[in-house]
Amino acid sequence: MKRRNRFIVLAGALFCVFVMLLLAETYVIKVQSTHLKKEPKFFAQTVAVLKNGDRVEKIGAETGWLKVRTMNNLIGWIHPSAVRTIKINLLAMNQPVKSQTSADEIALAGKGFNKQVEESFKARNKEISFVWVDRMLKIKVSTNEILAFLKKGKLGEYGGAK
Amino acid sequence: MRNSGSILKISFVCILVFSMMSCSIMEQGAGVLSEAGLVKKDDTQSIVKTSKALRKGFGEITEEEEYYIGRAVAAVILSRYPVYENNSLTKYVNTLGSAIIVHSDRPETYAGYHFLILDSDEINAMAAPSGFIFITKGLLKRCRDEEMLAAVLAHEIGHVYAKHGLKSIKKSRLVDTFKLIGQEAVGRYGPQELAQLTGIFEEVLGDVVDTLVERGYDRKYEYEADRLSVHYTVKTGYNPGGLSDFLGVMAAEAGGDSTGGWFKTHPSAKDRLKSVEKEILSITDIPARHAARTNRFKRAVKGIK
Repeated sequence: MKRRNRFIVLAGALFCVFVMLLLAETYVIKVQSTHLKKEPKFFAQTVAVLKNGDRVEKIGAETGWLKVRTMNNLIGWIHPSAVRTIKINLLAMNQPVKSQTSADEIALAGKGFNKQVEESFKARNKEISFVWVDRMLKIKVSTNEILAFLKKGKLGEYGGAK
Repeated sequence: MRNSGSILKISFVCILVFSMMSCSIMEQGAGVLSEAGLVKKDDTQSIVKTSKALRKGFGEITEEEEYYIGRAVAAVILSRYPVYENNSLTKYVNTLGSAIIVHSDRPETYAGYHFLILDSDEINAMAAPSGFIFITKGLLKRCRDEEMLAAVLAHEIGHVYAKHGLKSIKKSRLVDTFKLIGQEAVGRYGPQELAQLTGIFEEVLGDVVDTLVERGYDRKYEYEADRLSVHYTVKTGYNPGGLSDFLGVMAAEAGGDSTGGWFKTHPSAKDRLKSVEKEILSITDIPARHAARTNRFKRAVKGIK
């Protein structure tokens, strides 16, 4: 009887945790790093830099952007392509797997094809060099450089006639 | 007594339903209970283990895995083509690419997008997963203005967004990988698992490289990337006619001496041209061309040999 009661408490607690998490709408950063922006646009001021695995809570949305609160209580905007949802979507239960929460980014972080596999691949394929791949990754274009490029090229809002 | 039995059953059903809905939620829930001392640590691991279903298709390749596939595919491409080392031109191509990326559907990838010019007279452009994009010197020479180059880069960005490279991986390889990973509790592998996983990794790279360099994507993916190119360039502020111009050049060159690269891996430029022009007609607000762009393009490619 005592054991059974303990189990009821346990089941109830689990259920509460699930419901709380369901309501929270938590996202996890799936890219190496992303900028939390003050406004829902790329050229807005950066509030903070978020790292892979950081969790944020959705508090709003606007055309193509998510308004979130970080674990440090900072509020700002991020692009949806930088995050993976870990929320259950009840309405999407009958939809294809693609639109559902499927692979668990946290549990799978660092698993599968990772640095260790790359090192092993390099050892087996010595003729394939990663030197230029690493150099390629060092090519950076800043937000200011993109803005100047758009402006000088009369692109987007800097353009004239349509 | 009867009541507690019913509660127990209801609780069980609730847990089952929720655990079926999301493995990650299960893991979080079990973790919280473990921290609160309600469940033993061993039990937590067992709950998590049994709740974790195997991943199934390419759509479930994580962002990080896509990055490692993309890195290795890029390395294989770079083992076949030398790099055209021209810092100012490489910077120009990367800045133009970045301007389009921020207007695309997938501005963020694991380590961002990066562009490199290949020292080859072959006309070609390739996008490795996660945003490693290559264009040949031969292709650059065929572009007359920034509009044309923007269209080509936007087409490649479209392939990355739609994960066309990953879609070329044979499903059996993913099934094998996910099975192997599913048995492992940590991200560090023993010698046997590592050898197995590296073998599958090599096959995965073979599928993607073969598609990018030899066979080409499925025709429908090329048409999709063209459609995305039209929309990304317009959103950035370019005249979408750049893609029509580029395909026009390709159509004119088809059947001539050029047979490799683009001609080997892409469907007929003439057919694509028709579909692109139809797509452009659906756009109401088309940005005008501007001499400032053509001038800077000509300055950037000046001296290219």
